[in-house]
Amino acid sequence: MTLFGRRLPIATALVTAIAIAAATLAPPDQLQGELQRLMYVHVPTAWVAYLSFAVTLAASVAWLWRRTPRFDRIAASSAEAGVFFTGLAIALGSVWGKPTWGVWWTWDPRVVTTAVMFFVYVGYLALRQATPDPLARARRSAVFGVVAFVQVPIVHMSVVWWRALHQPPTVLKPGAPTIDGRMLTALLISVLAFSLFYLVVLRARVRLAVRTEEVEAALAERDQEPAGNAVLAPQWEKKGLRADV
Amino acid sequence: MTAPAPAPAPSALRQGVELARKDLVLELRAGEALRVTAPFGAVALLLIPLGVGSDVPLLRQLGPGMYWVIVLLFGVLVTLRQSAVEGPAQLAVLRLCGVHPGVRLAGRAVANAVLLLAFEAVLAPVVIILYDPELTGWPWLLPVFPLVAAGLALLGTLANALAQGMAQRTALGPLLVVPLTLPLLLGATQVPQAARYGSQPALWLLMIFTLDFAVAVAIGLVARHLEESA
Repeated sequence: MTLFGRRLPIATALVTAIAIAAATLAPPDQLQGELQRLMYVHVPTAWVAYLSFAVTLAASVAWLWRRTPRFDRIAASSAEAGVFFTGLAIALGSVWGKPTWGVWWTWDPRVVTTAVMFFVYVGYLALRQATPDPLARARRSAVFGVVAFVQVPIVHMSVVWWRALHQPPTVLKPGAPTIDGRMLTALLISVLAFSLFYLVVLRARVRLAVRTEEVEAALAERDQEPAGNAVLAPQWEKKGLRADV
Repeated sequence: MTAPAPAPAPSALRQGVELARKDLVLELRAGEALRVTAPFGAVALLLIPLGVGSDVPLLRQLGPGMYWVIVLLFGVLVTLRQSAVEGPAQLAVLRLCGVHPGVRLAGRAVANAVLLLAFEAVLAPVVIILYDPELTGWPWLLPVFPLVAAGLALLGTLANALAQGMAQRTALGPLLVVPLTLPLLLGATQVPQAARYGSQPALWLLMIFTLDFAVAVAIGLVARHLEESA
């Protein structure tokens, strides 16, 4: 797999450096001050979590259609990345929530639905873990990968359906974004940097999955007993008898 | 003398009804859902006030929410009951009889929904007696009961099919189902509140219906793949 070859990590590092500069140079929020700069990390992690689960959905559908192992690897790797980024988004939101809302955790619909989405995909990974046969694992997780995605629009729309503490969408919504232009630019560059980082992680994880399968196949081949291995040769020497008689 | 013509194969509807009936007869014999899980749920409803305190106004407020949480958590156990497990031989017979996997899952989902409706009916008087909840706008609950039962039955059927033949079936099934029941819980708890405060309960009903419909379509689309996993 050569998705952008060696250029991808270089491009990721470059865009990340630009994103850090843009996030630093963007003006502070009128109310929250410097604290608002957490947005340049929190929002991209949430976006990448959505992206990961969308890739899992697409790869699951592709596996059900084409039955190619590559799609199963992509779906599983992307779900792992998605669980990581969802957990990170929750943790960063918690860090942001403490000084602004006064609590580490609140029963806000966006927060709760995001946590539920985290557990939905933990279930996906548990399902894979519990199925040893590779074909059955791919089939079962592909089916669940399709159904699990129902949670993603619920998370995104939760701030629209229920008015609570979490602010409604400012970019991915009908109409123009309700955010300062410089802040929006910094945010979009940050989103791009995180998306590229996700691609780096996904590519590495897929390669690792390929290597793991190769090692497992090699071990299975090595452990395979040769024909006639169950027949023991008579050990004449131990019994004090000569084998050449 | 000619051989008698073979009997026509029963329709898909007839097959589904027969499979659902088979599941219900098995449950009637085993009594796993209504004689074991339902009392277990009632015990949970009895224990909650001991944990949160016996403050009557607080319990009156908590009652409906607790009822739906218990229905969803323990309802998963109803859908994953042992009597709903088919062995490889039973599956092989159904395949040889030409039963479509979608029909098999539909029959299972219908039986699950009937049992869950009964489960809800058993627990409803318990929560009314123990918690004395506000019952304003109760007619709106009439469509909520079957819609929640159908949604949970469909999700449970899906999880049961995914975890078929796995040693961790009873532990994994709830993990797969419970997080996805969030729209059911929200809809079920918000409908009476919306009715009480003059809001739009129909929107919450629509949300539950949408989930039920989406899961039913998803099961229909992936039924053949699930059959191969069994």
